[in-house]
Amino acid sequence: MSRATAGDRMKRVLSMVPWLVAHPGVAVADAAARFGISEAELLDDLNVVWLVGLPPYTPDNLVDVVIEDGRVWIHYADFFKRPLKLTPPQALALLVSSDGLASVPGADADGALPRALGKLAGALGVDTADRVDVDLGDGDAETLAVLRDAASAGTEVEIDYYSYNRDVETTRRIAPWRVFADAGAWYVDAWCHLAEGERLFRIDRVAATRPTGEASAQRPPADAGEAVFHPDDRHPRVELDLAPDAMWVTEYYPTEAVTPVDGGGARVVLAVTGTAWLERLLVRLGPSVRSIAMVGPVSDGVDLGAVGAEAAARVRARYTSGTTASS
Amino acid sequence: MSKLERLLNLTAVLLETRRPLSAEELRTQIEGYPPPGPSFRRTFERDKDDLRTLGIPLAVERVPGTDPPVDGYRIPPEEYYLTDPGLDPDELAALHLASLAVRLEGLDDAEAFWKLGGGATPDGAPTAPITEVPSDPALVPLFTAISGRQRVRFRYRDADRELDPWRLDFQRGRWYLTAFDHSRGEERNFRLDRIDGAVLIDGARGSASSEPPPASGARRHSWEYGEDEPITARLRVDAIRAPWARQQLGDDAVVESDDAATLFEVAVRNRDAFRSFVLDLLDHAELLSPQELRDDLVDWLDRVVSA
Repeated sequence: MSRATAGDRMKRVLSMVPWLVAHPGVAVADAAARFGISEAELLDDLNVVWLVGLPPYTPDNLVDVVIEDGRVWIHYADFFKRPLKLTPPQALALLVSSDGLASVPGADADGALPRALGKLAGALGVDTADRVDVDLGDGDAETLAVLRDAASAGTEVEIDYYSYNRDVETTRRIAPWRVFADAGAWYVDAWCHLAEGERLFRIDRVAATRPTGEASAQRPPADAGEAVFHPDDRHPRVELDLAPDAMWVTEYYPTEAVTPVDGGGARVVLAVTGTAWLERLLVRLGPSVRSIAMVGPVSDGVDLGAVGAEAAARVRARYTSGTTASS
Repeated sequence: MSKLERLLNLTAVLLETRRPLSAEELRTQIEGYPPPGPSFRRTFERDKDDLRTLGIPLAVERVPGTDPPVDGYRIPPEEYYLTDPGLDPDELAALHLASLAVRLEGLDDAEAFWKLGGGATPDGAPTAPITEVPSDPALVPLFTAISGRQRVRFRYRDADRELDPWRLDFQRGRWYLTAFDHSRGEERNFRLDRIDGAVLIDGARGSASSEPPPASGARRHSWEYGEDEPITARLRVDAIRAPWARQQLGDDAVVESDDAATLFEVAVRNRDAFRSFVLDLLDHAELLSPQELRDDLVDWLDRVVSA
């Protein structure tokens, strides 16, 4: 027997024996299904268990395993009366899963999951429920529910969607394939009839949903939801000269080149996926962008070098009503 | 005599013994060990490693009455046995579903479910997880220290920190630690991915400063974290971006709303962060008051326009 196998079987036996002790007369088939093994594997494990005991290993010091009519009883296994404690990584994984799912907008606050989480935290001996907090992202509970229902039913939904990159709102009919969370935001991967292709929509930019109840002819591909956005050659590039206090940009956006500048800061190259996206970045960074230049040829006559100043002028126009603000 | 049988017997004996047992005592009591000598010592060392790898708490203590001292071994029962959480079947099923839907990167929880009593995958289980929460090398050590109420040390922003860790938060795609920072004498927040090198667990904590604060439970926004004097800002957001702003700011921040726009009131402690939030709305929003924030924003925009 290899070492790995002994270790894996050991883990299983140390958990399974206490459960079998607590469930006298359970069917072998049910126990095997419960622990995800075949009946033959279970019987193999039990063949070892009845050899376990305490010195001097006389029959009255050994675990008693009885298998009769496809049912199993275990007696005299006091030392394995309870399973081994959860290791810190196991406890953490369970808490992250349950706290994460319980944080999904619209989750039932009094359901089985929050109850399980409370009991688990209690058994772990710490007020762990308050010590690990997982927030998967903002999202309107009803929007999430509509899109998830449509994804599982294979039906289509009409949505009003705000496009952050282009700063416009559109109405589209989509066939949701998969709803998921990533890096603090919720997404729906869908077939979009307006784009006539697969698109990823951020759920916090879905302003309204209208279920059509109509089945979709578009079937999800096997990798639905795994598509991540990659800029390609069609996207123009800009080079920004960033002051030191703007270096966070390199952590939040995929920068293609970072050249440190003497005296602090760096020149970074970014792919521009939408003009509105660049406008926002430049207006927010303000004086921390020391200069901006196009990288490569200027296509379509669009010079992105000026979009920051133009956007700032547009925003500034809202404040020309004098210095007196009114609501 | 299989290795599994030997390890199970070793575990049983070490759990039942009231005093630490020497290697030699274990060799004579448990079947399957080689005779005394290098071969036995190698086998016994491997068995000890195997038990520790399984997460079995193996205590090494001096065998009473030995001089020179002899190492003895036992498994403290209170450190071994899982307290029964008493999960009802629907609660265990809910945990199963949660572990399928939300996974912590790199961690397999099959064994955890064996310990909780097994259970097959419930009906209606999702075929694909809704998310995988990224892991971080600091995560398990920090969670271990939080559970065990221990102090930790690590390097952060070019300084050595000594901390009582209180809470781990996963927010906006990143892990954060809230801790009492003994080097600074106050509560601080840390980003796990900025921790430099290893997290060292440094024994029990002692002082009253170790009492954790209540969980915030509130949404965290960058403009709520700052040293600035708190100030209430009024912000009007056009309908096109009002739903998003409402999600970010919360229903409580809404003062009034109609088809054209929504008016919000926001408590601001970090003016730079709030300006950044307002500018993300581009020309779909107007910062109405207070006048000083409005003036700051106008001044900022003028500098960008003339840059």
